[in-house]
Amino acid sequence: MSAPVLIGYFDSEARVLDATRAVREAGFVLHDVYTPYAVHGLDDAMGLRPSRLTWVCFGAGLLGCTLALSLQYYTSVVSWPLNVGGKPFNSFPAFIPVTFELTVLFAALATVAAFLVRAKLFPGSRRPVLPRVTDDRFAIAVAPREAPSELDAAEDLMRRHGAVATDLLEVAS
Amino acid sequence: MSALHEVTTAPAAGFEVPPAVHRAAQVLAGVGLGILVAGLAIARERALTSLLTSGFYFLCLGLGGAVFLALMYVANAGWFTVFKRIPEAFAAYVPWGAVTILALLPFVSSLYPWAKPGVMETDHLLHEKAAFLNVPFFAARMGVVLAVWVGFTWMLRRISLRQDAERSPELAGRNVKVSAVFLVLFALTFCLAAFDWLMTLEPHWFSTIYALYNFAGLLSSTVCAMTIAAILLHRAGALPQLNTSHLHDLGKLMFAFATLWAYLWFSQYLLIWYANIPEETVYFITRLHGTWAVAFYANVVLNWALPFVLLLPRPAKRNPSHLLRVAAILLVGRWLDLYLMVVPGLQPDGVAVGVFELAGFVGMAALFTLAVTRTVRSTPMVPVGDPYLVESLHHHT
Repeated sequence: MSAPVLIGYFDSEARVLDATRAVREAGFVLHDVYTPYAVHGLDDAMGLRPSRLTWVCFGAGLLGCTLALSLQYYTSVVSWPLNVGGKPFNSFPAFIPVTFELTVLFAALATVAAFLVRAKLFPGSRRPVLPRVTDDRFAIAVAPREAPSELDAAEDLMRRHGAVATDLLEVAS
Repeated sequence: MSALHEVTTAPAAGFEVPPAVHRAAQVLAGVGLGILVAGLAIARERALTSLLTSGFYFLCLGLGGAVFLALMYVANAGWFTVFKRIPEAFAAYVPWGAVTILALLPFVSSLYPWAKPGVMETDHLLHEKAAFLNVPFFAARMGVVLAVWVGFTWMLRRISLRQDAERSPELAGRNVKVSAVFLVLFALTFCLAAFDWLMTLEPHWFSTIYALYNFAGLLSSTVCAMTIAAILLHRAGALPQLNTSHLHDLGKLMFAFATLWAYLWFSQYLLIWYANIPEETVYFITRLHGTWAVAFYANVVLNWALPFVLLLPRPAKRNPSHLLRVAAILLVGRWLDLYLMVVPGLQPDGVAVGVFELAGFVGMAALFTLAVTRTVRSTPMVPVGDPYLVESLHHHT
């Protein structure tokens, strides 16, 4: 399955913010906005909901924490108790450093992995590359809601908001 | 640049606190410090520990203001400029705070075990440390430390005021140079202060991370006090330029320094617990018995566990009312932390927080408020001569 997506190219941060807002307010569906660097205020302009990635991070951190504590408890209290300097087998302070490290490790790796999967950035994933958005152009991609003819109106709108070029691209949906 | 235009054409006047607040602060300072002085006659040790705990607490807030400024200057940071008059006003308390610490000097022999008459002769361990732990050298170190702090806070303030008058970008470079020197000297003198004034209360015990651990407490409490001051001034209409992004960054620093504190607190505890050497564990044994144990665990909850959870979500760091609550928790925690450093060695029986502790804290807090509001009144709230002001006005995270 593939659908045509309309790309509008802009040459400044201010114009792309303005046009993004206009496109969204006119009722078009924003496929995405591509910029060479993080543009402040773009999240608001696109009307993005707060990222759900934080929950992945929190959950993975909690999992890492629980696993680390359980593993240490199991190995040093249940499976193979060792007397270390007369300390109790279940020595909570000694477990903390490993627990901390594993919490951070799980949270960090899971967050990066979840981001890559969600953004479909993995080997074998074919994504079209927009020319110049890694250099000096800002691009707005508009997906049609129903009829592809609707995109003509969107093209007009973006032109009026300062698009320097427009293009139609087939992308995998 | 309409925002900048508004700022630069605003009347060059400071913020006047309501007279009722000023009056209340004067009364509380008078009553609190009066009770403390009376306490010197009635219950000398209680009054002295209260003077040390609260005196050091607020001196750290003042000093922390200067350290925050210096850190921002050397990092060429531009986001904080809009509210930099707040840390500057805090720093203006340093001379006052220095006096509260100097007030301890006549009573060294009533407070510090190593200075008590006859102790040096009978205690072999302390006798070995006599070259360092003696009253003249202690007083000299205190003098040098306080002089460095007063001198550098005065210099930083003077450059900032000259910026307003001269609007010369070269002064920003001078800020960086003075700050770099100050940060090095601060690190050395603050270690000395923490070891001398606090750690020698239990002169047999030692911990090399102790100063660093205090450093984290200083940064955490300063960021909290600055956040409270910024929000209150914003609500009073004195700092309309403060936006959600500034608060967000203050919230992040609060979160980060609370975690740094926990990291260092635990580093000290873990190493002593692991090694299990009697001369080191004695410190924690006192603090883990009787009512001290409650305070010991409450310390970790107030200074780290609660703030960590409460500041974790992004919206939490952008909500002024929420930040006020968390900052208050951390500031109570900081007092408890210092109380736990000062008192258990001298009063191992248990927690005793009463009229003297309260009077010391309230009196010193009122004194701090007076110093800060006096400085805030004398200069315009927004530093119009700072070249980073535009960046700060447009700060966006």
